[in-house]
Amino acid sequence: MMSDGETYRVRMTGISKRYGPIQTLDDVSLNLKPGEVLGLVGDNGAGKSTLSKVLSGAVIPDSGTIEIDGKAVSFSSPADARAARVEMVYQDLSLCDTVDVAGNLFLGREPRRHVLGVPFLDNKRMHDETRNMLDRLGIVIADTRLKVENLSGGQRQSIAIGRAASFDPSVLIMDEPTAALAVAEVEAVLELIRAVSARGVSVILITHRLQDLFLVCDRIQVMYEGRNVAERRIGDTSIEEVVNLIVGRKFNARSARASRDEGVQP
Amino acid sequence: MNVTSPSADMGASSSRRARKGSWKDVAIANGSVVSIALFFIVVCVVFSLITGSFLTTPNLLNIVRQSAPLLIVAAAMTFVITTGGIDLSVGSVLALTATLSAVLLQAGLPWPLVVIAMLALGAAIGALQGFFIAYERIPAFIVTLAGLSVIRGVALLITGGYSIPVEPTSFFVNIGRAWFLGVPVPALLALAVLIVAYLAFNQTPFGRYVTGIGANAEAVRRAGVDTRFMTLFVYILSGMAAASAGIILAARLGSGSSNAGQGFELDVIAAVVLGGTSLFGGRGTIIGTVLGALTVAVIGNGLILAHMSPFLTPIVTGTIILVAIWLNFRLFKGAARSR
Repeated sequence: MMSDGETYRVRMTGISKRYGPIQTLDDVSLNLKPGEVLGLVGDNGAGKSTLSKVLSGAVIPDSGTIEIDGKAVSFSSPADARAARVEMVYQDLSLCDTVDVAGNLFLGREPRRHVLGVPFLDNKRMHDETRNMLDRLGIVIADTRLKVENLSGGQRQSIAIGRAASFDPSVLIMDEPTAALAVAEVEAVLELIRAVSARGVSVILITHRLQDLFLVCDRIQVMYEGRNVAERRIGDTSIEEVVNLIVGRKFNARSARASRDEGVQP
Repeated sequence: MNVTSPSADMGASSSRRARKGSWKDVAIANGSVVSIALFFIVVCVVFSLITGSFLTTPNLLNIVRQSAPLLIVAAAMTFVITTGGIDLSVGSVLALTATLSAVLLQAGLPWPLVVIAMLALGAAIGALQGFFIAYERIPAFIVTLAGLSVIRGVALLITGGYSIPVEPTSFFVNIGRAWFLGVPVPALLALAVLIVAYLAFNQTPFGRYVTGIGANAEAVRRAGVDTRFMTLFVYILSGMAAASAGIILAARLGSGSSNAGQGFELDVIAAVVLGGTSLFGGRGTIIGTVLGALTVAVIGNGLILAHMSPFLTPIVTGTIILVAIWLNFRLFKGAARSR
């Protein structure tokens, strides 16, 4: 893998994590190039969420090393990972429904202006910067003063991704960003992933929607019971093969056949 | 994006909403404030018609003077309830600070020291309760219910159940009785507190986090905000507000009674909820709280002026709470459906 001499954005090697009797991660590796979109797939309990949490600092591994841009790092909290410009979009999105779009994008780092030493929200700057940010990422939301509860699922997902992207990350991890979205909303989110990676951000996409992988990913890594089982360039594989790799045996999945017939090539 | 897609529809409807809202959009978005404002106006008009003395300057000033403690504590309670919490101990804190300030003045302490000591006591009680709520994760209802009982008990223990007089020549009574520029001092104090509360709630990061904690505390925590301290802090605010209400009450009545403020916490919560703040958290408004508190005060005052039984007050107040919230609920539902 390393013979091509390129520097990797992320190199995780020999990551292991044990919870009681269960070896959740067993000597797992993960490599990611700048601007690359990696699909991380596997059945429930295969360890993909745990692996992403190790990289986002939410889980501390028992052993293994992480290098970012060639430098060894060790994360003991999500704040450490954020400092190393690794951002994670959680599956539950972490949005405050009764706060407006701009307020959610800037949650915890609101622009402030001080009047007599008292910090006040700089609402104008916050809304202007939000507008710029949304336009740059091509997110369609008419009014930055709308409360998030009034937005569609796709728009909410876009805001969560937009917020993570606005921290200027070098690595963006997304856990099931397209679950429970309408068809056109999935398209918009996938478009957003392409836009982010085109700006040089490396993306790790965790999903059960295999058809999405073939639309945005450069490479797929398959995990099975806490181990890496396969890695494929997207051009060299098919949805049928990926399904077989995920379930760990030759499996003549009806869903896989149907998808191939409809043509899932990007 | 496909034209017929749900998200495109959503985008279209939100751009329709975006044309800098007509008053109708604003009214629907602030349905809770509009409905309590209507109630407030209706109540005022009714009492102006059936009693000649309601709509007179002395009576209106009397209402704001008497409702100052309610307004101050309700402003702080808006913060507490917006985080998804509750503070049932405010009536007891009011009683304790009212009696203790009378006791300390009798002991010869200078009045500024008494005021500072009482505010510090209120803050300390709030901090203690806030610690159990924010750091030990005990439900606010239980912690402050225990507080309600214990703090009232301490006030009774100190006074033996008697009320303690404040020397009428002391400067202290001016806090509750003096007039400044033709307005009662308690009303000015309440106004100052309300302005600060309004700015803090709507224009500062602190107010934003209070709303955020009520809506999704975990999201605010992940954003790097110290949510536990923020939660503790709102109970410090309500403790201090209750202490200032106790001081104002003792100064106005010229005595500190351990029985003061029985049921005060329910009046405060009624005012806040009437104003449209959600008991589930995440949604609060200071303007609504002011209108709610004034509505509760006007009903009490108007029924007395109309020579009706004062025992009607709780019946009317309770009915209005239910009807106002019901209307508000229908208004919101209607808004959601038409969108």
